[in-house]
Amino acid sequence: MFEELIDNYIRFLQSLTVEHFIRLFWFYIFFEFLRYFVLEFLVLNLWKLSKFFNRKKYARAKKDFMFEYPLVSIIIPGKNEGKHLYKLITSLNEQTYKNTEVIVVDDGSDDDTPVIGRDLEKAGMIDKFIRNEVRGGKASGANTALRFTKGKYIVHLDADCSYDRDAIEKIIIPFYMDKDVAGVGGNVMVRNYDDSLVTSLQAIEYYDTISIGRVVTSHLGIYRIISGAFGAFRADALEQVKGWDIGPGLDGDITVKLRKLGYKIKFEQEAVCLTSVPNTFKKLTHQRLRWDKSLIRFRVRKHKDVLVPNQAFNFLNFFAFMENITYNLVLNFKWYIYLLDMVANYPSQLVNIIITNILLYTGTNFIKFVIYSLYRARANASYTYFLIYIPCMVFYFGYYLRVVRTIAYFQEFFFKRSYKDPWNPEKTSAHAQRMKL
Amino acid sequence: MAADIKLDKERSVIEFAGFSFLLIDALDSLDVENVQYHSAVIIEGNDTDFIRQIVRRIRGHNSPDIYLKPVFLLKGTNLVDPMVNKLIDGTLFSLDQIELIVPEVERILTKTQDLHFTNSISFEAQMIEKVICFMYTCEIRDLDPIPYIYSAVNFAYPILSVNFRQKDEHLTLDILEIAEQEGLFNSTYVDRIYLCPGCQSGHMSYREVCPKCGSSNSTTEDIIHHFPCAYVGPLSDFTNEIDDQLDCPKCNKRLRHIGVDYDKPSVLHECKACDHKFQDFNVKAKCLNCSQDNLVEQLKSREIRKYSLTKKGELAAINGFVSTSKDIEEIIGTVKFDTFVTMLKYEIERLKQTDGVSNICAIHLSNPSQIYSKMGSEVQKVLLKDLVKVIRSNIRTSDIISFQSSSTIILSMNEIPTRIAKRILSEIIEMLKRLIATTFKDIEVEFEYEVIKLDHKLSPQLHIQKLTKAFS
Repeated sequence: MFEELIDNYIRFLQSLTVEHFIRLFWFYIFFEFLRYFVLEFLVLNLWKLSKFFNRKKYARAKKDFMFEYPLVSIIIPGKNEGKHLYKLITSLNEQTYKNTEVIVVDDGSDDDTPVIGRDLEKAGMIDKFIRNEVRGGKASGANTALRFTKGKYIVHLDADCSYDRDAIEKIIIPFYMDKDVAGVGGNVMVRNYDDSLVTSLQAIEYYDTISIGRVVTSHLGIYRIISGAFGAFRADALEQVKGWDIGPGLDGDITVKLRKLGYKIKFEQEAVCLTSVPNTFKKLTHQRLRWDKSLIRFRVRKHKDVLVPNQAFNFLNFFAFMENITYNLVLNFKWYIYLLDMVANYPSQLVNIIITNILLYTGTNFIKFVIYSLYRARANASYTYFLIYIPCMVFYFGYYLRVVRTIAYFQEFFFKRSYKDPWNPEKTSAHAQRMKL
Repeated sequence: MAADIKLDKERSVIEFAGFSFLLIDALDSLDVENVQYHSAVIIEGNDTDFIRQIVRRIRGHNSPDIYLKPVFLLKGTNLVDPMVNKLIDGTLFSLDQIELIVPEVERILTKTQDLHFTNSISFEAQMIEKVICFMYTCEIRDLDPIPYIYSAVNFAYPILSVNFRQKDEHLTLDILEIAEQEGLFNSTYVDRIYLCPGCQSGHMSYREVCPKCGSSNSTTEDIIHHFPCAYVGPLSDFTNEIDDQLDCPKCNKRLRHIGVDYDKPSVLHECKACDHKFQDFNVKAKCLNCSQDNLVEQLKSREIRKYSLTKKGELAAINGFVSTSKDIEEIIGTVKFDTFVTMLKYEIERLKQTDGVSNICAIHLSNPSQIYSKMGSEVQKVLLKDLVKVIRSNIRTSDIISFQSSSTIILSMNEIPTRIAKRILSEIIEMLKRLIATTFKDIEVEFEYEVIKLDHKLSPQLHIQKLTKAFS
């Protein structure tokens, strides 16, 4: 049976012509390979070059920053995050940049968080601990913290993360490179990469797709999500947009709001944050359903005006939105069209097509993983550790995440399920839905 | 007035049923020393301050002939001072009722005669003796703390607190702790107090203050969370100058209904002194005595306990209480009794491995009450020091001396035959007698002594019991 399959596959490969190859693997060639490898690789090299040519500018920006030595307000909103606070605060106290204030907001926790927070405040390890007795959601927690900040820059952190010693310093420097920058996203890496198969796969995803992807979009000027786990903002710009709006997806939302005001958003690869990712497929599915729904809710609904040519039209914002919608939404469904195309037109070759696709994607993933190591800031684990997991990535990306994304889009398109997400209190989601936010 | 009551108005004395009652109706003419010549005291008056002062002067006196005297009130209204109520023995509403208090006077005076007063070595011992003697004569089993506004620590133990000026009143707690350690009292927990670390006063003004500058001058504002746009800010952000409505500064929407489109998740305090905004006050306690401003965490916490007199306490009242363990532990050349017992245990263990002979000895003052009652506290300390000095110079440096009580000295004599130990001890006794005869001429001291050989089959406690059995 297996030998027959191999013989059949070899015959299939021998019979492949260029035209035939393009016809059978058009989706991979035109969308995946060109966008996620060729174009990405090209931009990465341009970015490297620009980094080299701008090294003096970077050094000057760093000098200006240290000379001005502004107060940086670090805000950490969250619910039931007390258990993570000590580790987080320890990593913040180790920072090379010292002129910071740390504000922790407890958004109606029902565990020991208030006790831990007050202890840290009394011990002088944080500057302020604020407790909201009633849960209001992540956005209201962040806005509460914002109310108490005094810094020129606001750094938003998640409590379950920890940070490189120079992370705060590195994330602020881009503001001194370009005065129009209003937000900088930090580079999030996976701390618990060796917990399980699912965390190892996510670690590779964070290395290649998320981190490298953000380097590329940032360089092209279309970077669109400052991660809630590690993001820095100019306080005056946040004041202009009046802080965060209701989530889920509030980190992407605030980035768009800033972009709409004409500000630039940058990604700083060397500002590293470690986070714990979901360690089971069940938890990961919940997380990704939430993330993917926000594409429909914020890009397609709330901020659809970006796509309309009007007075405030901005080509880069339009391009960022289009790229996002095309590659995440349109191509997601296009893949199903490709699948139907193959099933309808080449039913006898379907097995061979699937095998070839798997081999193509896996080969590309290997090459990308190895080559991209030249462009990564640093790794928190040996790259060789991940090599054995690379063959799984095709199933992780190509099938698992695609299916999750499809479900999320359907749920949001037809049922507006993000407004029912318990991640946000129902009292606020109900208003957001009514007001189409 | 009953016919057999004789009132000497000039001397303010009432004679009745063979007892002499000193009638006190004015503070100016009071000579408190005069109290000792009468069977009891009757205080006449309705002024609480006046009565309080008289009672304090009698009960606060050092002499048992004065502080143990029965004291009664003659008055028209009920007295409300709880401390005074605990320090008097009864109330009369007219002198005609005097025969009602006679049995009480008789009982107290009889009980007083049971007591043998000594001069205690230390102030602490003196106070303890006073408390237990008062409790014995008044047949009080429990020394209850009473919440008392005039007390510096907010609670008073009347017969003890009356001896202290307000600023030293915290010492009552230390003294009662010592008395409990001596086994004179058992105690149970009643309450907890917090004292100023500077002056030990319990009179505090507790205030919520700004965590930054310590000012108590602040304003408080509700924080509002507007659900539709997630804006969070103080109430003043939402008010307008036109009407009483609230409008969101972020989305300009009018706030309609609490719990539906907005809520108030917390409050915000603003310090008027330094403009600091905060959520949690610091709580500070300002001492009303010395004005020191303390964080509540810095206050000294003390337990207020109720004390019950034990049998040992009762016996100490009758026989006199000379010294606390602390007093005799301070005598140079001796070790604590507990240490002595520990070392004895090691010596017994050592003897199990060897064939040696070791002994413990005791020297007991047979008439301690007579001796100590004739000496002042300083002289007592000198006597004990001299006794130790003589013993120390006649035993080897490896042997140790300890006080079991102020009348019993215990010492070890290791690696020496019992016969020789007895001879050395009898020589020491002779030397001690000679010392006392020359140094304290009017005092006759009787000694008893005992030597026992250590038996490795017995525990240290049994050895001590065996050794001191004859003395009790």
